[in-house]
Amino acid sequence: MAIIERPTPALTTPAPVVVTAESSYGVFRRPVHSTGWRSWVFTIDHKKLGIMYGVTAMFFFLLGGVEALLIRAQLAGPDGTILSADKYNQMFTMHATTMIFLFVMPMVAGFANYLLPLQIGARDVAFPRINAFGFWTLLFAGIFLNTSWFLGGAPDGGWFMYAPNSSVPFSPSNGVDFWALGLQIAGLASLTGALNLIVTVINMRAPGMSLMKMPIFTWMALVVQFLLVFAIPVITVALFLLMFQRSFDATFFSVEAGADPLLWQHLFWIFGHPEVYILVLPSFGIVSEVLPVFSRKPLFGYPFVVFSGAAIGFVGWGVWAHHMFASGLGPISVAVFSISTMAIAIPTGVKIINWTLTMWGGKLKFTTAMLFAIGLIIEFTIGGLSGVTHSVAPSDTQQTDTYYIVAHFHYVLFGGAIMGFFAGLYYWWPKIFGKMLDERLGKWNFWLMVIGMNLTFGPMHIVGLQGQPRRMYQHTEARNGEGFFNIGFWNLIASVGAFIIAIGVLLFLINVYKSHRKGTPPAPLDPWDARSLEWMTTNPPKEHNFDQIPTVHALDEFFHRKYEDRGTEDHHDYHQVATAEDVIAEQEANADAHIHMPSPSYWPFVVAFSLPIMGYGILYSTMLIIVGGAIALLGLFGWALEPSTAIESDYDPPPPDGPVSTEVVVSG
Amino acid sequence: MADVAVHEPTVHGDGPDDAHGDAHGTHYSSTGLSNNKLGMWLFLGSECLLFGGLISTYMLYRGRHSQNLGPDQLWDIPFTSSSSFVLLMSSLTMVLAVSAAKRGDDRNTKLWLSITALLGSLFVAGQVYEFTTFYREGLGYTTSLFSSSFYTLTGFHGVHVSVGIIMLMALVGMITKDRIHGDKAEVVELIGLYWHFVDIVWILIFTLVYLIPA
Amino acid sequence: MSRAKRFGIAAGTLLLAAGCAEDAPQDTWKPAGENAQDIHDLQWPVFLTAGIVGVLVIVVLISVFIRFRDRGQPIPEQIHGKPALEITLTAIPAVIMAVIAGFTVPAVMALAETDDTECVVNLTGQQWWWEYDYPVSEDGTICGVAPTSAEASPIITSGQLVIPTGTKVLVRGTSRDVIHSFWIPRLNGKKDIVPGRVHYLRLEADEPGIYAGQCTEFCGLSHSNMRMEAVALEPADFQRWLDNELEPYAAPAADTAAAEGETLFIQQCARCHQVNGLVDDKGNDDPADDAIVVSAPDEFVWSGAAPNLTNLMTRNTFAGATWDLLTENCRDDVWNATPAEFGAKYLEGVTAECLNEVDLREWLRDAPAKKPMYADPEELEATDGKFRGMPYLALSENQIDVLLAYLIERK
Repeated sequence: MAIIERPTPALTTPAPVVVTAESSYGVFRRPVHSTGWRSWVFTIDHKKLGIMYGVTAMFFFLLGGVEALLIRAQLAGPDGTILSADKYNQMFTMHATTMIFLFVMPMVAGFANYLLPLQIGARDVAFPRINAFGFWTLLFAGIFLNTSWFLGGAPDGGWFMYAPNSSVPFSPSNGVDFWALGLQIAGLASLTGALNLIVTVINMRAPGMSLMKMPIFTWMALVVQFLLVFAIPVITVALFLLMFQRSFDATFFSVEAGADPLLWQHLFWIFGHPEVYILVLPSFGIVSEVLPVFSRKPLFGYPFVVFSGAAIGFVGWGVWAHHMFASGLGPISVAVFSISTMAIAIPTGVKIINWTLTMWGGKLKFTTAMLFAIGLIIEFTIGGLSGVTHSVAPSDTQQTDTYYIVAHFHYVLFGGAIMGFFAGLYYWWPKIFGKMLDERLGKWNFWLMVIGMNLTFGPMHIVGLQGQPRRMYQHTEARNGEGFFNIGFWNLIASVGAFIIAIGVLLFLINVYKSHRKGTPPAPLDPWDARSLEWMTTNPPKEHNFDQIPTVHALDEFFHRKYEDRGTEDHHDYHQVATAEDVIAEQEANADAHIHMPSPSYWPFVVAFSLPIMGYGILYSTMLIIVGGAIALLGLFGWALEPSTAIESDYDPPPPDGPVSTEVVVSG
Repeated sequence: MADVAVHEPTVHGDGPDDAHGDAHGTHYSSTGLSNNKLGMWLFLGSECLLFGGLISTYMLYRGRHSQNLGPDQLWDIPFTSSSSFVLLMSSLTMVLAVSAAKRGDDRNTKLWLSITALLGSLFVAGQVYEFTTFYREGLGYTTSLFSSSFYTLTGFHGVHVSVGIIMLMALVGMITKDRIHGDKAEVVELIGLYWHFVDIVWILIFTLVYLIPA
Repeated sequence: MSRAKRFGIAAGTLLLAAGCAEDAPQDTWKPAGENAQDIHDLQWPVFLTAGIVGVLVIVVLISVFIRFRDRGQPIPEQIHGKPALEITLTAIPAVIMAVIAGFTVPAVMALAETDDTECVVNLTGQQWWWEYDYPVSEDGTICGVAPTSAEASPIITSGQLVIPTGTKVLVRGTSRDVIHSFWIPRLNGKKDIVPGRVHYLRLEADEPGIYAGQCTEFCGLSHSNMRMEAVALEPADFQRWLDNELEPYAAPAADTAAAEGETLFIQQCARCHQVNGLVDDKGNDDPADDAIVVSAPDEFVWSGAAPNLTNLMTRNTFAGATWDLLTENCRDDVWNATPAEFGAKYLEGVTAECLNEVDLREWLRDAPAKKPMYADPEELEATDGKFRGMPYLALSENQIDVLLAYLIERK
């Protein structure tokens, strides 16, 4: 954030500033460009970074989607031959890894980055440069991980990478090494991002915004960041042990040396289960924003939704072993984790009840965003209920590692996380880009995706209960059965469904293209009659977000500024008293005089760039480790020595008779 | 809407000088805690789980070694106790550095920071010596599960101490050249927090690894 | 015909088809033994409850969409919540879950019992097949059954786990390389089989028959091709099977193709595959010079084991139970046999007429091409030169002929 309140030089007569090499850093000037590629690469603006996170996530979504399509094409008929066993194993490993670590998590980071400061009335995040570092680190991790396809083969042990199958004798290519290193790098991105966002939300809320007046998306994102702070180190330990096992012959997972393969499973799932909530809670937040707007009612039971989110976050730490019901834990552990898993269904149920009651008595407008939100409620409910069936541990021993589980978590993740993202994209698109997405195309997009997902993942319940295990590169006629429940038929349907989803996603891209052609009108200031703070600024928001930091009086502050209650104590009667334009004009009129924004920087990019270099170094040459380490050290020192705001000499001299302004000194 | 109050930050910076750093200790914050400190506390919370994972791994594997190369044969408790004492003392000197920084006493700050770094280096040197001795006695990194997890845990801690030493030295240099942006005392305090954390982790490791018999 | 009527007929046909058709052999909803039945008794009410809740939620939601759609009504009441209603609605799922938990916990405990079992089979998983070994207990019985004539010695087999019906069998499983998971859905839930640990699983089959299963923990390249079958035989048939397994080795008659095959087997196959009682005839008349052929798979295979082929043709599958040794018709004949006929049909084993030569020849010609295995000789550095699975042996067609002649007698 860094709203730096200091007397602007503008108030005195600015002396003409000449940029000399001496006044900047060594031979480099600080990158202060506000246009062109440099304004993106070196930016530390949370909005630009949010967009870059989103674009990166979308790219990996498409990549993971292509991987999914290849998997479904292979399984469309018995004895598929499109992929070899080896390629298939790499494909499902990378599909999951890409979707989880390179699509959903960055997408969450994108939404959170973009929206959190806006929703809490701040001008940026607490540590803008760390924010930029997080993004670049993530991008480089994704690229690093995917270069494994061309360097001897992608990881092939499944995203859960159980030991000892991940050890060198069983997976001799470098794939698993790329995976272990790539995820450590990506973990660093998540961890720094999480620290940053927590501090932002805790410390930088606008005056008057108590915790219980925070927008619900901010709340859910906050819970998720806490989960990340505590979950990432656990997977880091696991990945570190794996890396040492593979690269330096450590024996952590060597059974012949006496190792216990269950160590990996515990470490992995202690991270892995909170991870599930890391993936879905933000979408719960998005939906909890979208539903009230299009129901024209506040979120029903806001405190219950907040606390259930926090409860899911807490209990989420005590259910990891339900991934291990068949792994040979004792019956006592199984029973305990079975019960805790059932317990977590309760706060989840609370959310669904509250969403339903939010709509109850409302004035529902079925925009595309609303449709996706409703889609989430229904699809997630189905996924949640199938989740209940395998919280029953004995029943789970029949279902685990079958397609029934695949069906379950795709209903939860596609039906939960992805539906929520699309609701958010349609809802906030005008805010972020100042253009409306086409509603007609949007509805096609929705229906194709929702029909596609049910065709894809619905039949997986059947084939799973009919005994088709996961991660098999072929299914054979001999074990497919006949008649209505036959595995072959439903696999074909699932494959058809996958391609329907693909068409739906394609329509989204077409929609984006269409709404950004030249000549499309700008979006209205407040297209949805929204309720929260992020709408109390221009579309897209100015670099400094708000001209005047708003003082918050209520949950749904923006709504209360537009509508006035003329009713009595128990009969409310709301009348519109102001438009968004009025509210924003008011803000502009009372603009804060001195707004200083932090300036762009090379160093986050430089430090992030050193990480994959060290990664390749561990795999190929010590020389590269040294080079990467040197770059990192250099970058960190540059970073430490650089003030957050550029000194005047880093800017080009202002035009001779340029306006002396109360305008913001932005740097970007 | 005219009654909407103009936002007046409750706490202002003291002046232009503290208006830098990625976040601003004295700037308005909802909790009154500075961003940097809050961030550091969260980071240390995260580090707890990192060491938690490593310690758990060690505890699981501590007994899995060949008969003549276990803790009983290797540990030199008096030696490790002395090096632990050195590290503990460095926490004391760190406290002195922080208090000097709070007084604005640059000279003493630098002095105590340097002594802290020196004590830290002594500890690391002790660890290197200890590792070398164990290695000579036959305990390689890949010898047994015990050795892998022992070296990883203590090595990880050693790296943390070394990073701390680098930060302390850099801090001394930056104070000398007056290149610190922001509240100098707070920067010293932040590094101090990290340093104390690393010490506390060592107390835990020392107790669990060296003192409690397997 | 009206659309509704046509739809009705279509739906009816489907249901009928569903009713008559045979479900997949790994159907988790067709328990055939006590353990699976216990699980099933627990799971169907949960599924039913989940289904009802799901339908209720969706019906309520749809009615909300219809009732409260935007029809130009005024801005609705800005209700922030009704705590009493919230708490009630939170209590409902809590109560449902508590009831489910009340049934789950005792079931978990009951399914973990192992002290009432009457037969022990040791199970070892490796890439990508299962080995079953029947230890001889202290009283000289195997799986609770005393051999009729021969002296009891441990039986080692693979592909099909043969058990007596109506008997509680204790499977003690471990692995030689990575984690596998043993799962015969109609007999019990799955259990991971972990190297360095022994895990226990109870199996019991009520009726004679073949129960299919599949490794369900991802175990590397050919995870898909790691299957298993449990074969349940009436106790009398089980006795017959057991006695046959203990029969001494019968060498092929001299100067037959099978005898040639035996020589070839000793040269090519016996390095890894054990055939109990096989002797290496040194070519002189002194029987004392015959040396028992002991295979040493640990020198060639990473997991250190290869299937014991002593009675290969008594089982119906090969290569990790992935392919049938029986032709399709013969296979269907055994699989679809009534419980009364099943035992006799199964104990016939693989006859010359029924042998599925196509797959077996393909396998012998180039095993890694048929089943993906880690068998490229140039990539064995990571495994100290050892294969994972059967390598390419460069056998000529003639050699395959004689090997088949030899193998068909192994029963």
